[in-house]
Amino acid sequence: MGLWLSRMLSWFGDQEARILVLGLDNAGKTTILYRLQVGEIVATIPTIGFNVETVSYKNIKFQVWDLGGQTSIRPYWRCYYPNTQAIIYVVDSTDHERIGTSREEFHAILDEDELKDSLILVYANKQDLPGALSDAQIAEGLGLYSIKNRTWAIFKTSAVKGEGLTEGLDWLSNALKTKR
Amino acid sequence: MFTLMYGLWEYLFRKDVYQMLILGLDKAGKTNVLEHLKTMYTTLVGLDPGKILPTVGLNVGRLDAKGQSIVLWDLGGQPALQSIWDKYYAESHAVIYVVDAANPARFAESKAAFDRMRSSSQLAEAPLLVMANKQDLEGAVGVPEISEFFGIGKTVPPDAPPMKVVPVCAHTGQGLKESIEWLVHAVRISPRLQRLRVSSA
Repeated sequence: MGLWLSRMLSWFGDQEARILVLGLDNAGKTTILYRLQVGEIVATIPTIGFNVETVSYKNIKFQVWDLGGQTSIRPYWRCYYPNTQAIIYVVDSTDHERIGTSREEFHAILDEDELKDSLILVYANKQDLPGALSDAQIAEGLGLYSIKNRTWAIFKTSAVKGEGLTEGLDWLSNALKTKR
Repeated sequence: MFTLMYGLWEYLFRKDVYQMLILGLDKAGKTNVLEHLKTMYTTLVGLDPGKILPTVGLNVGRLDAKGQSIVLWDLGGQPALQSIWDKYYAESHAVIYVVDAANPARFAESKAAFDRMRSSSQLAEAPLLVMANKQDLEGAVGVPEISEFFGIGKTVPPDAPPMKVVPVCAHTGQGLKESIEWLVHAVRISPRLQRLRVSSA
């Protein structure tokens, strides 16, 4: 009964989801977070620690955690893993040299037991810059196709221009609804 | 010794999970097929067709049909994304290929992708079901024409994997039950099942 009632309520009220935004340093995670939250570009400095904001979109309250991406602080990501419904993994599409590093970090995340049920959304960011790799190239570079047991999607984004971000959230809100 | 016995036990009594790919051009209705199957075979309610967005990646569906556990991999069909299809071939037991039967203008493009898929040796012996989707729409092309166009069932070499074209309407669910049941049966008797079992062990 209680379950039924809470389900009924969740139809009317906002659903909540805990989302982690991860990726190497300088991928654009913080810019994405604030673009989504306040709709504008804020000047950012490298994140040491985390930023957390609530973004309401299409009846879903996304609690978005943006974790600092520098090598020295990546080990702390795991402190935030429990109860995470989805990962937004941000890649700097122009950073050809570090796509391999990004892939390693990405696969370490995929292997985490606490994240085995999380949905995976990849933002191939900085598409406004020349020399940006395409979504297919990023998918290949990250080894996205080795994911066989859960739902994933990749979107071309430009946080600076605000492109692709809401498309990703549209996908995420759909996927969260049909998640099993 | 225990490990050996345990391995044998596992080998003999393990429940197979049939992995099936859903392929086809963008806008063919692949995700709609998946969502409707979820509604039919699980306690979940699939997404409303109007809410489905183009897939840019992978949708995974799990269901049980005819006492068989099935994992469905619905991959995006846009040209750039077709390059990831073959990464899933080696582990797939069977393929569902969805064609928008109401859009003959794209048949040639669909057949090109279809032929590329069929020429992959990684899909050897895999049963193949073609869904002639959107049969509810006016001008939808029927099964005989689709079979003819895609070159299915004309001259079948004796060692060819089982193939079938089914009229489907993913919107209403017409033809989906028949399709899944045919696939489960086809995989069950397919030599590929045994081969994948060995390679995954």
